[in-house]
Amino acid sequence: MIEVRGLTKQYGTVRAVDDLTFDVRPGKVTGFLGPNGAGKSTTMRMVLGLDRPTAGRALVAGRPFAGLARPLRTAGALLDAQAVNPGRSGRDHLRVAARTNGIPVRRVDEVIDQVGLGPAARRRVRGYSLGMRQRLGIAGALLGDPAVLLFDEPMNGLDLDGVRWIRRLVRELADEGRTVLLSSHLMSEMEQTADHLVIIGRGRLIADASLEEIMRGENAARRVRVRTPSGDDLAGALLRRHLRVHPTGDGDLLVEGASAETVGDVALELGVAVHRLAEEHSSLEQVYLDLTGDSVQYRVLAAPEPAGQVRR
Amino acid sequence: MSATGVAVRSADASTATVFARAASAEWLRLRTVRTTWWCLLAAAVTIVGIGATAAFDEAQGPAGPGSTLPATLAGEFGVLPGQFALLVLALLAVTQEHATGMIGPTLQWTPRRGVLLAARVAVPVAVATVAGVLLALVTDVAAWFIAPGLTLSLADLADSLGRIAAVLAAGSLLAVGLGLLLRSTAGALATVFLLQLVLPFLLPAFDVAWMRDLGRVLPGSGAIWTLLGEPDMTAVLATTVLAGWSAAALAGGGWSLLRRDAG
Repeated sequence: MIEVRGLTKQYGTVRAVDDLTFDVRPGKVTGFLGPNGAGKSTTMRMVLGLDRPTAGRALVAGRPFAGLARPLRTAGALLDAQAVNPGRSGRDHLRVAARTNGIPVRRVDEVIDQVGLGPAARRRVRGYSLGMRQRLGIAGALLGDPAVLLFDEPMNGLDLDGVRWIRRLVRELADEGRTVLLSSHLMSEMEQTADHLVIIGRGRLIADASLEEIMRGENAARRVRVRTPSGDDLAGALLRRHLRVHPTGDGDLLVEGASAETVGDVALELGVAVHRLAEEHSSLEQVYLDLTGDSVQYRVLAAPEPAGQVRR
Repeated sequence: MSATGVAVRSADASTATVFARAASAEWLRLRTVRTTWWCLLAAAVTIVGIGATAAFDEAQGPAGPGSTLPATLAGEFGVLPGQFALLVLALLAVTQEHATGMIGPTLQWTPRRGVLLAARVAVPVAVATVAGVLLALVTDVAAWFIAPGLTLSLADLADSLGRIAAVLAAGSLLAVGLGLLLRSTAGALATVFLLQLVLPFLLPAFDVAWMRDLGRVLPGSGAIWTLLGEPDMTAVLATTVLAGWSAAALAGGGWSLLRRDAG
């Protein structure tokens, strides 16, 4: 369990994290979503006592992390896989970690096997790929067999195998009853991995709900995909009815907040051919873009001269 | 919630145990990077090499049977330049953590910053001091074999090694403190070299009164006096200079680790 209460971080005039309050519960994978610079990493650093909050506090398993005597037994984290002394071997890195928390060396070899680092563990980190460093960082997080785990963008730079491995790992960790907080900007990954989402933007809480709730919520209104040879005309007509229209890469139009009936009727009225008409549920990515207020696309489309824009 | 909190608290280790683990981990950190061994090798070559050379020089010199120079001078001559390899060792132990970002994981493993500070200061300072004293001892004995005209008594040895220990402890405290404060290898290293080596030799060379006075209160001057009895200053001033700079650097470095964001 992680409890974040009114957490705030001010850097000069910039408020990186603004009065953030949420809980991360055990037995679930909680996705921590937000655009770059939204304050995800800063929040995680404050939870772990690396940065001092300007206001508010965070508790890990009911206590401030910075006071723990054997923190690795309570919470393990991977914040930055590159933050390792490259001159030390992976195994020695983990041995140092184990020693600080009174963990037997036997456990070091266990986690090395668990993350699949294998014989590379005895080589210096200097020669590791990013994927190997991610595995080393995760081995460090798992070292103390903690009930709480925090991963900051663990899938960054991983190949498909690595991504699938992490997805499976966090699933298992949550199923074992652990608290898992996982930040990522890969929305599609969150859709497949997370049970619960905490979404922040500009340091503020935007949403704190289960994945299902967010997908079904008002921001996840249905949309319609329509394929027509007269895209510009139809888009113009739909825009005049105050509907939001986006072009897709393959020449279709996506119409937000409308039913297939409405779009079909508009097309009939206009007399344009429709080759495909289908209702779609928004992807998490779309919900996320809506929630974080990325309305750039709508503004572009709402501007005059839609002709060139729609085919973009 | 409160019930589990109490249970966790009672299972916690004592501060002494946490410190012992942190210090043991600091020692392991030092042992598992090559820079430490390179620094020790450089210190060994410099201290023993210069000390032995001085002894050869003495053995071949015109000094007759009447001269009674102590062999401990060899160790002191060697430590004067050789200390820098040991100061670099202590300094890198701290600044490498910041340069590589390793301070993040380190604080996740030992989030009690006061305990981490104690271990992080104690271990590199102890390693640098003990290594320097041992190397000086080897140098003294070697010099005694090389130049039989030199005298070597236990009293001389204890006095000399004690002064060397004081110089190395003060110097590595300065290095560790500046490393914690500045967090940058280049910045801290440049500052240590200026304070410990360059300015104490450079300032008096100008033959301007205020420069000479300024040079006298720099930590390097205190170190040189403690080792060689030069330049002209009192034991009280030398001790004050050494202890004062170490304490100031430690206060600044301690503040930086305890109060600032991990960075």
